[in-house]
Amino acid sequence: MVRPLGPRGSFARMVLNRRDAAVIHFDNVTKGYKNQNRPALQHVNVAIEKGEFLFLVGPSGSGKSTFLRLILKEERPSQGHVHVAGKDLSKLSNWKVPHLRRRIGCVFQDFRLLPNKNVFENVAFALEVIGKPRRFINKVVPEVIDLVGLEGKAHRMPDELSGGEQQRVAIARAFVNRPMILLADEPTGNIDPATSIGIMKVLDRINRTGTTVVMATHDAAIVDAFRKRVVELEDGRVVRDQSRGVYGQAY
Amino acid sequence: MRAQFVLQEIWIGLRRNLTMTISLVITVAIAMALFGTGLLLHNQANSSKNYWYDKIEVSIFLCAKTSSNPSCAGKEAQQSEKDALKSKLQALPQVSKVEYESKNDAYSRFKDRFSTTPGFVQSVREGDIPDSFRVRLKDPKQYKAVSQSVLGQPGVDQVVNEQEILKKFFRILGGLQSAALIIAAIQVVAAVLLVGNTVRLSAFNRRRETGIMRLVGASNTYIQLPFILEGAIAGLIGGVLAAVLLVFSKMLLVDRLASNIQMASKLGWGSVSLVIIVAICFGVLLCAVASFLTLRRYLRI
Repeated sequence: MVRPLGPRGSFARMVLNRRDAAVIHFDNVTKGYKNQNRPALQHVNVAIEKGEFLFLVGPSGSGKSTFLRLILKEERPSQGHVHVAGKDLSKLSNWKVPHLRRRIGCVFQDFRLLPNKNVFENVAFALEVIGKPRRFINKVVPEVIDLVGLEGKAHRMPDELSGGEQQRVAIARAFVNRPMILLADEPTGNIDPATSIGIMKVLDRINRTGTTVVMATHDAAIVDAFRKRVVELEDGRVVRDQSRGVYGQAY
Repeated sequence: MRAQFVLQEIWIGLRRNLTMTISLVITVAIAMALFGTGLLLHNQANSSKNYWYDKIEVSIFLCAKTSSNPSCAGKEAQQSEKDALKSKLQALPQVSKVEYESKNDAYSRFKDRFSTTPGFVQSVREGDIPDSFRVRLKDPKQYKAVSQSVLGQPGVDQVVNEQEILKKFFRILGGLQSAALIIAAIQVVAAVLLVGNTVRLSAFNRRRETGIMRLVGASNTYIQLPFILEGAIAGLIGGVLAAVLLVFSKMLLVDRLASNIQMASKLGWGSVSLVIIVAICFGVLLCAVASFLTLRRYLRI
């Protein structure tokens, strides 16, 4: 069936084109949790282009984590639509969600490594569980371990590594499947400022390969130093969206 | 799907909560053994029913001097009465065969049948069992018509239907059968709950792993399969133990009983192995389904 093209037809096509170009697109998204009066996100409109590096800033409880969880379809919006890679997540059936997540890498403040596996095994785990063959794993994992700067530490256990090194392992695991998007939820939150710079260099390196990076952070120094796009959330609303921005004067 | 990875995960899961796994295996074993026993009793009851129903006779005992029936008046049945009775019986449409058994014949048959228990033989003297007609019916259910037409005839003391005696035996057998099945059902409920708990513990123990698996986009089957197989393997071990129990009870209990008591039909290895296969399959399926249902609630996308 062909939909009649009204006067709004050309406008709709324009929006569609923009959505196609954007790798992540929040279309008037509101997200409320049960038993909470104030929604975690309210009428959020953000489009993130392919290859962009975006800082998501704002105080605790401003909705940064909800923003990231919506991209992963760990939550669904109460209103509005989230598009990832041109696909509306609300139309994505549950059994296809794993395929979405294979194209998104994730890094967290608390690293989330498996304590009983060494560096190589931790990174390889991400490929094993999506059924990649052994030969491929043996080829790719050392490359990524080198990329994040852990040469020669493949057989260390996580508790033998420093916090910065553990986060590098987590980044390697997130990136080993060459995702389209890398989400980082306060990746430097548990790490001292000097080591954080090293982590940021790794993320920047990953961004240069064409991967879109979305990083939620509290770290003003890093945001100010990098001069990338900054989206600021406050009480679930976007209060600032600046390319080449800083953390903000208020802090 | 990489088999090695899945097997490794199963091994870790089973080892981590070993005590739970053991209790699960035992519960499944007992449940399946009782379930199998119920099935075997059912088979046994059916086959002996068929066997006995072919041989069922109605015994018409004739008056003797010791009869307590007032219509006998303490007198032996006359030959003329016997002849009249015999021709009357033979004339009945439900009757297929009539045989006369004298006191002497009955006594020698009794001695013969209970030759292994001398106490029985010694306590009975010749003449204690009165003369009787043994009537074979075309259809054992037609017993009522025959007994009504014969009761009250001169010379008849009492009419005994063997079916009535067998009915008691079958009622006991049926009771045992349903008792075994009821206990099996209770055990099955316990096993299902235990599978649920075991799998939940297992999933909790490995929540880090499953969390990362979800995050990096492992498919649901890949995440759930180790848990389901874990349940299925516990079910399989339980089923095999149940099979061992069944084989032992067949060898030690049934066969030994059968050599002492004259059983109507022997329980063959064929039916035992069939029951074993059914019990194992049921055990595995039960555990797999129970863990699947638990996981559905526990490992959401």
